Amino acid sequence: MKLVLSIFRKEMRSYFNSPIAYIVIVFFLVFTSAWLFFVSQFVLRDTASLRPYFAIMPIVFIGLVPALTMRSWAEEFKLGTAETLFTLPYRETELVAGKFLGAFGLLFLVILLTVPLPITLLPLGNFERGEILGEYLGIALLGAAATAVGLFISSVARNQISAFILGAVALLFLTLVHQVNAVVDLPAWLASVFNYLSLQYHVQSFIRGVLDTRDLVYFLAITFLFLYLNTKTLVLRKWR
Amino acid sequence: MIEAVALTKRYGAVEAVRGASFRVDQGEIVGLLGPNGAGKTTIMKILTGYHYPTAGTVTVNGVDVTEDPVAVKRALGYLPENAPLYGDLTVREYLDFVADARSLTGAGRPEAVERTLEVCGLASQVDRPIDELSKGFRQRVGLAQAIIHDPAILILDEPTTGLDPNQIQEIRHLIRDLGSNKTVILSTHILQEVEAVCDRVLILHEGRIAASGTTEEIGRELKGDVMYGIRLVGPAPGAAARQALAGLGKVLPGGTENGETRDFRLSAAEGVQGEEIYRWAVEHGLVLRELVRERYRLEDIFSTLTTRTPGEKEGASP
Repeated sequence: MKLVLSIFRKEMRSYFNSPIAYIVIVFFLVFTSAWLFFVSQFVLRDTASLRPYFAIMPIVFIGLVPALTMRSWAEEFKLGTAETLFTLPYRETELVAGKFLGAFGLLFLVILLTVPLPITLLPLGNFERGEILGEYLGIALLGAAATAVGLFISSVARNQISAFILGAVALLFLTLVHQVNAVVDLPAWLASVFNYLSLQYHVQSFIRGVLDTRDLVYFLAITFLFLYLNTKTLVLRKWR
Repeated sequence: MIEAVALTKRYGAVEAVRGASFRVDQGEIVGLLGPNGAGKTTIMKILTGYHYPTAGTVTVNGVDVTEDPVAVKRALGYLPENAPLYGDLTVREYLDFVADARSLTGAGRPEAVERTLEVCGLASQVDRPIDELSKGFRQRVGLAQAIIHDPAILILDEPTTGLDPNQIQEIRHLIRDLGSNKTVILSTHILQEVEAVCDRVLILHEGRIAASGTTEEIGRELKGDVMYGIRLVGPAPGAAARQALAGLGKVLPGGTENGETRDFRLSAAEGVQGEEIYRWAVEHGLVLRELVRERYRLEDIFSTLTTRTPGEKEGASP
């Protein structure tokens, strides 16, 4: 665990010693707030609900998460620092866990920094506090799954630009795949497969304030599946 | 201490190492010498567990690298080629990270960091981001991360490339000092570096161990030979001339012809001097335009050593 934290600390230092952390934080806060107040007309709607605020977050993550994870492995391989990192006495699982905690830690911080907004709005109306907690939990789980996907893609990409683009495409697909059903009339089984795959489909119940263990299991399964695949790609690189 | 047996590594269609076997004993400073592409870096990547061999085995202290890479990595310090480092960290942040990764704790930890900073002459640079450091300092940071945990084995891939002559001297001294109580394997394509630093040399050629021995052995072998660069004008030497030349030494491969002149190099037999070559040319009616006594180049050492000891060509011997 100490070894995992050593990578986590190094990742955090790298994020904050470069502009990337600040850009991500400012972009996310400004964009989601602007969305809430200007696009979804929070004040005019006169409804004590932050659903539109949380509903836009999965869409923003499509671009935001790959920006956080694109460097994670691709840059290590590109600059050759992977060689020093991988010859330190780490197991692959420790490396992947550390990298994941680094990227997810920053994403989690970004999510935490949105907390003042609901707190400021709470006195203005009769908000359901439980619903807001559920929304935060759902967004955090979705963020973890998206980070795992982005990290995995960074481990197979040639450089950080392709890691970003491939990551965004993968997340775009995973986030919106259930929308196919809104356009095409598919057989029920295929429609439910698309629904099941979709990140956004699973976060919807959280955003409505409903905790469903099936959704919880889905997010955890996606997260661990991609982290596991990530350890495998690292081992495969040694044999290539 | 380190034993490689029939090591082979293929990258796709390229065979970077072909059946190299060698042993490095405790306390030795061994140089891997060879031109670019000879397989030095690949061997080091395998020794450190960064890549796994296609065939063959490496054991470090009796532990197979592919079976327990973490145990092997604990015992080694490794400076990869060009010292890849995290540019956005400061020197102290970076060494802190490596100290964490090496599980250095307690009172020994700050001591280890300070000792390493001092040994590598980095004390004045601790709070600078690595990206802002000169090449020489970057190389020292690379060395610092390799020795912070005081490993028994140090593996250094071209530790002096890209440095100016003063820095090269300093790094060589540093390696010599470190080597007094460690096993060191370093790679280089500079012959003098091996002579200056190493106890023993493994000469690599096209992924094979072409020769190995102590620096004295190889140095003696080479210094006994004198090499001449010869330029003739006019027609090529006839059969009789070529036969007579064979008595004076061995013509090295890679001669060139340029219009009316032809160049080649002769590894002279013992006692053969310039005047003998001059007399040979005169006797056979050849026109000698240039006769230069040359220093051996690495390529010549290869051709000399590989042709002289064909039995070792497969790389079976230390």
